[in-house]
Amino acid sequence: MNFFQAQSKARHNTRLLSLLFIGAVLSLVVLTNLLVLLFFVDSYPGATLAQRISDAPQDLWLYTSLGVIGLIAVASGFKYLALQGGGKAVAESLGGVLIHQNTADPTQRQLLNVVEEMAIAAGVPVPPVYLIRESSINAFAAGFGIHDAVIGINQGTIDLLNRHELQGVVAHEFSHILNGDMRINLRIIALLNGILILGIIGGALMRGSMFSRSRERGGLIALGLALLVIGYGGTFFGQLIKAAVSRQREYLADASAVQFTRSNQGIANALKKIRNHSAGSQLDSPQADENSHLFFGAIRSFSSMMATHPPLEARIKALDPQWQPSDSQQTTESHDQGAAMAANMSGFTGQTDRVSQHCGSANLPEAQRMLESAEPVLSHASHDTFEARAMVYAMLLSADESTRSEQLALINRMAEPGVPALIPKVYECIQKQSQRQKLLYLDQAMPTLKAMSRAQYQRFYDLIGQLIVADGSVDMLEWVIHRIITQELYAHFVGPFRNSGHIARPAKVRKEVTVVLSLLAATSSTDQAQRQQAFQAGIAIWGDNQRQLPIEYFDYQALNQALDKLRHLNAELKAQLLDACGAAVAADGLLRDNEFALVKGIATTLDCPMPPLEATA
Amino acid sequence: MEMIIVLIVVALLAFWVVRIYNQLVELKNRHENGFSQIEIQLKRRYDLIPNLVETAKAYMSHERETLEAVISARNDAVAGLAAAAGNPGDPQAIQALAGAEGVLGGAMSRFNVTMEAYPDLKASANMAQLSEELTSTENKVAFARQAFNDQVTEFNTYRSSFPPVIFAGMFGFASDAALLEFEDAKEIQAAPKVSF
Repeated sequence: MNFFQAQSKARHNTRLLSLLFIGAVLSLVVLTNLLVLLFFVDSYPGATLAQRISDAPQDLWLYTSLGVIGLIAVASGFKYLALQGGGKAVAESLGGVLIHQNTADPTQRQLLNVVEEMAIAAGVPVPPVYLIRESSINAFAAGFGIHDAVIGINQGTIDLLNRHELQGVVAHEFSHILNGDMRINLRIIALLNGILILGIIGGALMRGSMFSRSRERGGLIALGLALLVIGYGGTFFGQLIKAAVSRQREYLADASAVQFTRSNQGIANALKKIRNHSAGSQLDSPQADENSHLFFGAIRSFSSMMATHPPLEARIKALDPQWQPSDSQQTTESHDQGAAMAANMSGFTGQTDRVSQHCGSANLPEAQRMLESAEPVLSHASHDTFEARAMVYAMLLSADESTRSEQLALINRMAEPGVPALIPKVYECIQKQSQRQKLLYLDQAMPTLKAMSRAQYQRFYDLIGQLIVADGSVDMLEWVIHRIITQELYAHFVGPFRNSGHIARPAKVRKEVTVVLSLLAATSSTDQAQRQQAFQAGIAIWGDNQRQLPIEYFDYQALNQALDKLRHLNAELKAQLLDACGAAVAADGLLRDNEFALVKGIATTLDCPMPPLEATA
Repeated sequence: MEMIIVLIVVALLAFWVVRIYNQLVELKNRHENGFSQIEIQLKRRYDLIPNLVETAKAYMSHERETLEAVISARNDAVAGLAAAAGNPGDPQAIQALAGAEGVLGGAMSRFNVTMEAYPDLKASANMAQLSEELTSTENKVAFARQAFNDQVTEFNTYRSSFPPVIFAGMFGFASDAALLEFEDAKEIQAAPKVSF
């Protein structure tokens, strides 16, 4: 299953859940109406239900129904609002401590390296990592989408697991990010909260009416009790659904972790360590409960029906079929079958010419190779809050001397003290790098830049904009850099961009797709015949017969306009569009750096991951 | 059916209060995370200072007092940092750190003045590199401090804005978090004394 199939499945599941929820609300309305009729309508004793209905005041049912629906809406809405803060808010509410990218602690350093490798291998932004001060072995991922995701890790996890096992755990969490599990889960939390409120109010009503002396006292207590039962009962069944959904996702995430790391031993051994650890994977924090499904291991021990995670033994068995529960305490180093298991999984075919097939998987060896060959000065700069900005400024400096001196003057005027002095050293390094490498450093710098304050971000963002337009034009790489920064930092500091996924018909976006493919064709070659060939390759995949648009320069405004609409494509069409882009740039059998950069910029705007593709398509 | 309306209003209020509480917790955790960035940069600076003193010792053996003052001020600052890092929300710990940093700044500037009398030392490659690193960490400290102060201000503003201020005390957020200001910043802000 690739990223897009997972996304559309997640959307489908969300719709199903919403239907279930509407059903639940309707039955709650009917039940409450019945209760009100039974207890509050003054009929003679022994009246039948039909008589009571005819005796009831005319508007009674309306008020009751509105009341129940209103309560549920208010409760769900509030929770949803509270969750709008995204992954950062969840991590902070769990008491997470942000691990800074320039930390001096070697185990934390290792954890950040593992997360960074995995993010670059999967082609998603490197998420900020939070440390949870608990000694058990656990981890979680939270957020609405790939751009506001965060990862949280327990202290026990980094103390007790080795690098290989840590990699398995981190890969498991990335699978939750890529499969859209976090989003469904956030919705479930909000909806469950809506039903729970009825129970809470029922409880309050009962306690309140114990002391009242009114004539209706008995009725109030009964209504309270009934609401209590409905609310908590509803929540109970809701929890069952949530747990069942969650258990399925856990198996999927374990399997994906094998696929990402090409190893089944890392994650299997991590699970075995949880099994042998006295604290297991349990958490003390009460706030963790409503996020229980986001974690790597179960945070409470429940009976099988309510468990958010499958039993450890079953998970280990699925990963390592030879393992016996009676096995020795220690983790095993048996023959690693991860590569074979990964190859067996559907969707992973190793070599494929469809870009969308790569989305949602991870290319770990390539990512490790890229990071190992990175320039140390720039790797260091991208991990330091202060120097990371200087690096981004330096990336945008023009090769043209007079424009560059104008840009430097801008930096001198607008940047914080100390930044201008750093520029020359960084510029010297960065100008030697290829476009693809520049984007790698930008990816690495993202979590670092997210540690700025909002005011500092505003200043940084303003200066970036001015540096880009200093020469009076926007070139392709400048556009990509600006896109990535906007998409990711905006999601972090302000709020994620909305993409509704409501466009399901290719005919609606004919013009926009033509613009995108024409631009890609123009980027791929200067020769008109080759451009035509590239465009045709792309449009054939899209399944249309539009004519190529004549494009003489990098028209970023047309591209922005097109992407603003294409952002709302549904998952299938997004996959098709990315495949078309891939086919256009690969028409000549070469994947050039500038082509990769532009496709990455487009994919980022569409909220799609873009794993590192091999240099030749 | 007024009861249902009352219930909805009560529920609304309850959720609103919960939201205020969550927001306060979030903002508090955020600025505490901001402090850990200052900690990283200050630690780096405190690690550089003993090297600096070691290098200087070879040249300025007659200035033991200046050098010892730097080292003792540095040690105080290390202790101040450890205390503040343990509880970045505590205004007293932040004040103490700011004080220790002020003393260290004073000692460092005396050291710099003294160094002027030793051109050999100033010219040595080792010294030049250390001074350069110190300057750059100073800039980084300033930047991290600015981020922290922005986040503290955000927390304080929210805490003392209208509805939250009613509940803040109840939830254990009775007082504002302290900004981390160093001596030099105060000097700049102080109005110049004018005498006739």
